[in-house]
Amino acid sequence: MSEAVATAEQIHGHDDHPAHLQHHFVTSDQQFEASKMGMWLFLITEILLFSGMFVAYTVYRVWHPEVFQGVSSLLDWRLGGLNTIVLLASSFTVAMSIHFAQKNNQKGLVINLVITLLCACIFLVVKYFEYTGKFSHGIFPGIAYHPHGDYAVYDIPYAGQFFSIYYIMTGIHGFHVLVGIGVFIWITIRAIKGDFTSAYYTPVELTGLYWHLVDIIWIFLFPLLYLI
Amino acid sequence: MAHDSHSGHHIVSQRVLITVFASLVALTVLTVITAQFVDIGVLNLPLALSIAGLKAMLVVTFFMALKYDNPMNSLILGIGVICVTVFLVFTLFDTAFRGDMPNVDSQTISDTEGRNLNQEAREAREESAGAQH
Amino acid sequence: MSATQTVGTESGRSVSAPVNYLNHDKSIKGWLYTVDHKRIGLMYLATVSIAFLVAGLLALAVRTELFSQGRTIMDADTYNQFFSLHGIMMVFLFIIPSIPAALGNFVMPIQIGAKDVAFPRLNLASYYIFVIGGVLAVTGILVGQIDTGWTFYTPYSSRLGAPVLFLTSAVFIAGFSSILTGLNFIVTIHKMRAPGLTWNRLPLFVWSIYATSIVQVLATPVIGITMVLLFMEKALQIGIFDPALGGDPVLFQHFFWFYSHPAVYIMILPAFGIISDLIGTFSRHEVQGYKFVALSSVAIAFLGFLVWGHHMFVSGQSVVSSIIFSLLTYLIGIPTGVKVLNWVGTMYKGSISLQTPMLYALSFLILFTIGGLTGVMLGVLSVDVHLHDTYFVVAHFHYVMMGGTVIAALGGLHYWWPKMTGKMYNETNGRIAAVLIFIGFNVTFFTQFIMGSKGMPRRYYDYLPEFEIYHMISTIGSFLLAIGLFMAAGGLIASFWRGKKATSNPWKSLTLEWTHTTSPPDPHNFHHTPIVTRGPYDYHLAPEIFGEPGGDGAVVSAQPDTDPVQQ
Repeated sequence: MSEAVATAEQIHGHDDHPAHLQHHFVTSDQQFEASKMGMWLFLITEILLFSGMFVAYTVYRVWHPEVFQGVSSLLDWRLGGLNTIVLLASSFTVAMSIHFAQKNNQKGLVINLVITLLCACIFLVVKYFEYTGKFSHGIFPGIAYHPHGDYAVYDIPYAGQFFSIYYIMTGIHGFHVLVGIGVFIWITIRAIKGDFTSAYYTPVELTGLYWHLVDIIWIFLFPLLYLI
Repeated sequence: MAHDSHSGHHIVSQRVLITVFASLVALTVLTVITAQFVDIGVLNLPLALSIAGLKAMLVVTFFMALKYDNPMNSLILGIGVICVTVFLVFTLFDTAFRGDMPNVDSQTISDTEGRNLNQEAREAREESAGAQH
Repeated sequence: MSATQTVGTESGRSVSAPVNYLNHDKSIKGWLYTVDHKRIGLMYLATVSIAFLVAGLLALAVRTELFSQGRTIMDADTYNQFFSLHGIMMVFLFIIPSIPAALGNFVMPIQIGAKDVAFPRLNLASYYIFVIGGVLAVTGILVGQIDTGWTFYTPYSSRLGAPVLFLTSAVFIAGFSSILTGLNFIVTIHKMRAPGLTWNRLPLFVWSIYATSIVQVLATPVIGITMVLLFMEKALQIGIFDPALGGDPVLFQHFFWFYSHPAVYIMILPAFGIISDLIGTFSRHEVQGYKFVALSSVAIAFLGFLVWGHHMFVSGQSVVSSIIFSLLTYLIGIPTGVKVLNWVGTMYKGSISLQTPMLYALSFLILFTIGGLTGVMLGVLSVDVHLHDTYFVVAHFHYVMMGGTVIAALGGLHYWWPKMTGKMYNETNGRIAAVLIFIGFNVTFFTQFIMGSKGMPRRYYDYLPEFEIYHMISTIGSFLLAIGLFMAAGGLIASFWRGKKATSNPWKSLTLEWTHTTSPPDPHNFHHTPIVTRGPYDYHLAPEIFGEPGGDGAVVSAQPDTDPVQQ
């Protein structure tokens, strides 16, 4: 349908009507603001999605503080810290990419998007080694939680709850990173094709907002799970 | 089209972005140090969460550019955060005070209310309570 | 979707009827791939109607079983499944999407003078996501036995087999659809209003859809994560909710009701909006206390997040939280009372015409007031301990959900039917059906208040002899109710063949969908974007707007469009 309307408008010689503007919006600004507001609304649904897990974490931590403090030392703060820095860096580069898109700097945009993409991949690789490391000691979520060897002392009541919450929280967070990678690949290809200019960079802006939120979630996960 | 600075398209300068990134890294180092190497007892948890909150504020304000954005988007975020707080606090009203009702087994009920109940009813209740155990 | 196809159909049809959204592209693809909010609204309407039919038949079966003591038509296990499926389908597949996604999708963008919602493709996506959720739910039902009730309480639900996995996924996915619709509507109402349409000039239906959308966006993600956790509880036995694994079943109830209490406002708020529009229109009177009615919707939306614990007074939650939740529950009565008073005030000295939609609006006023007041009674901690899990609760929420939402949805459907289809339904049939529904409803559910207060527990397959008479009356009422509903549906459907052609504004309403579009509307809603200069219920201006008696005040007639670019 939008194609049909666009055709009609081309016939009538409306060449001040940019290609990215959909027919039901009046101006590009209206479209940009609407998309951005939609994205923010989506972001708070993400926050509320994660809030369920934060509430579960808090409730069990209040009930069994010593267990949660004890077993959290099983998680390696070095790897967690590394991943924090990696995600912060990717957040920074994505902000830079928007900066360059606004300045019509094609090269800066693409380079920063590629770095972001790399950081996201590094994050998942580190996560993979963390997970497999834990699995090899029998630290699984739920009923399968049976630490053995040196870790056998951690086979205490409610430690399973901690790791269940850990795996679900980081798992869903990791899933968001994975989705982010997919979107960044698409955005990067479009950026290389030169789709984005200072007049139209909405997808970069929206993906950036999403990515910052993924970063913020991790900012809270890191101390709660690894540090305290 | 070089300097497109109408509403909603504020360009955050590179200097600001770099400063924010540096602060975020510094705060990460700080939170690791305070949690892992300096034990400050009960303050561990609030401190770590405060640092995380500060980091999140920095990301939201500058990276997500809410400072320069339509205030409506800040309002949306605010409402989301308030909702999460309500969810957390109201759930804790229950879980943190679970079992705050004074003991309600048959013994305490007859102790506090026995005077007002006739003897048969009390016995019937104790009997049925006993049957359940 | 290609340009050639559109052009082809347009040239093929330009002979007779004026272009409208129904006839401009009649191909199946034109419906399945449509991004037009009006068509998506109709697709939702068809889908939720099927869900309503199935879930309604299940309810009839349940009522028939309860007609007499002992086994009547089915065994206890089947009975448990039937009432569970009735609840699950009615709540997740019918009532939640009914008014916002079906009527809201059709009406709201036109009422604000927009060509479409802000994100039309997202709108279509959310419809298909809803369908996927529905299909998964039906699969779960066919795969095995769900007898958890619609609340999925743990640990029972987390120990059931595969069907619960299907149902939790279905609720999760249907929730996504709900979120996307809400998000879309909020942005639409903020960013797409026609010039001159300030917040103070929005029709109250738009205000109520706005409030509903806020709740959808804020609450639904929590049922999403709850379903994920329940899924994990079943799949990996993570021990968050199941006490045998060290979990806490009451925590599940918190999670569930953090969504599901606000969700009852997702169900009832849009009904408030319809009733405001109906009462204003059919009383020919400005809605009294417009701002209060509008803002009370938003107030209810936010207060609704603070009261979920009143579903858990006997769950074993702490007494502190029970007291807090009970006190906060009373507050809900304030904005709700504001609305009811203003509706009554609107009718005072109005010139009321008792057409079918108005009959539904009046039914709503009576039924919802009963439902609302018994809600306050149930919010009283000490009273609820006695009435909890009795038929009193069943009657209360049916008075609110069916007597409130469904009655309002029927009123709205009759009201906007001429706009949607271009046909008038049979007024006599409509009125008789409305009255029959009102009587049948009260016979069914008022009886349940009485037996509930006498101690008849809900969800039971069998009962003591002293309750038999109430169950009999209730079952007879439910059949009356069903007859009324089939009559209403029949009248609407028959209008396709026998209905008179509808004019642009058969009710002489003042909102944009009546004054500025044809019946049915143009594919792009308006030939020219309307410029709004007055409020939605300025019926004191009616003589100026409608001109001589008989004029319908429609600014556009079925004239051919003049400037395609303006579309």
